Amino acid sequence: MRKILQDTCILAALMILAVFACSIIWSGITAEILLVLLLFGLALIIAVCNYLFDEYFTMPMVISYIVKYFVFSGIVMLFGFIAGWFFPSNFWMAFIYVGIVLVLAFAIDALKVRRDIRYINEHINKKESSGKLTKISDNPETE
Amino acid sequence: MQIVTRQVEGKPLTVTIEYPEYTDPVERLIQRIESLDVSFCAVSDDRQIRIAASDVYYLESVDRKLFLYTEHDVYRLDLSSSALEKLTDGSGFVRISRTCIMNTAHLTGIRQLKNSHLEASLDNGEHLIVSRKYLRDIKKCF
Repeated sequence: MRKILQDTCILAALMILAVFACSIIWSGITAEILLVLLLFGLALIIAVCNYLFDEYFTMPMVISYIVKYFVFSGIVMLFGFIAGWFFPSNFWMAFIYVGIVLVLAFAIDALKVRRDIRYINEHINKKESSGKLTKISDNPETE
Repeated sequence: MQIVTRQVEGKPLTVTIEYPEYTDPVERLIQRIESLDVSFCAVSDDRQIRIAASDVYYLESVDRKLFLYTEHDVYRLDLSSSALEKLTDGSGFVRISRTCIMNTAHLTGIRQLKNSHLEASLDNGEHLIVSRKYLRDIKKCF
């Protein structure tokens, strides 16, 4: 299911980029196309920051998400001001947008971590129990 | 394929492969077993020691120096990170943080601590901090 969702998102992104690429050739950059391209750009910047953050900082999960919340909100705000999305009156909306995305990401991440730990521990236990079985049946055969 | 295991005390680990004819799967199996027989040339008190990969618990990089940890001892390893990656690739070693590579053969469990850090327990009683980013890589080893 996860793979299908992942492929769907990638395919949707490719379709958007392909359609917009054709539209740019035919009719130039419209406001909608610019908005989507800027969102792609913002997503790239956040993805790079997230990668670097995970690579260089080891923090408890909750703290790391809180730090990311403020860092990413700052990036979105800065980007929003440059792109003209935010004004001094509505810049606080960045906190809401980033908050929603990060709460979802945190929930998915927490579930995934728990599931991965269970999977690894189950396999270690399985390996250990099969090792014990081998030991019991280890009656030296005559050579 | 039949797998026969038996304990023979006082002898080194020996793998005997019997086959009706030498085919590709047999060759792949031999290559796979050979890849498990990796050893490291470590330094301890200015002496060079060869340590089998199976005896290594984890490798850690501290201040650009590489250290190799066995059950009780620590050795210095003179190896570039690319050579290390090549040597440990496919032999049960997995990166668990930016500075640490663990041998999954000695892993006894992973748990999430109260502060949501991840901790790997090894069969010598040591505990290592695992970065969440590398959890998927550990999963792939099983």
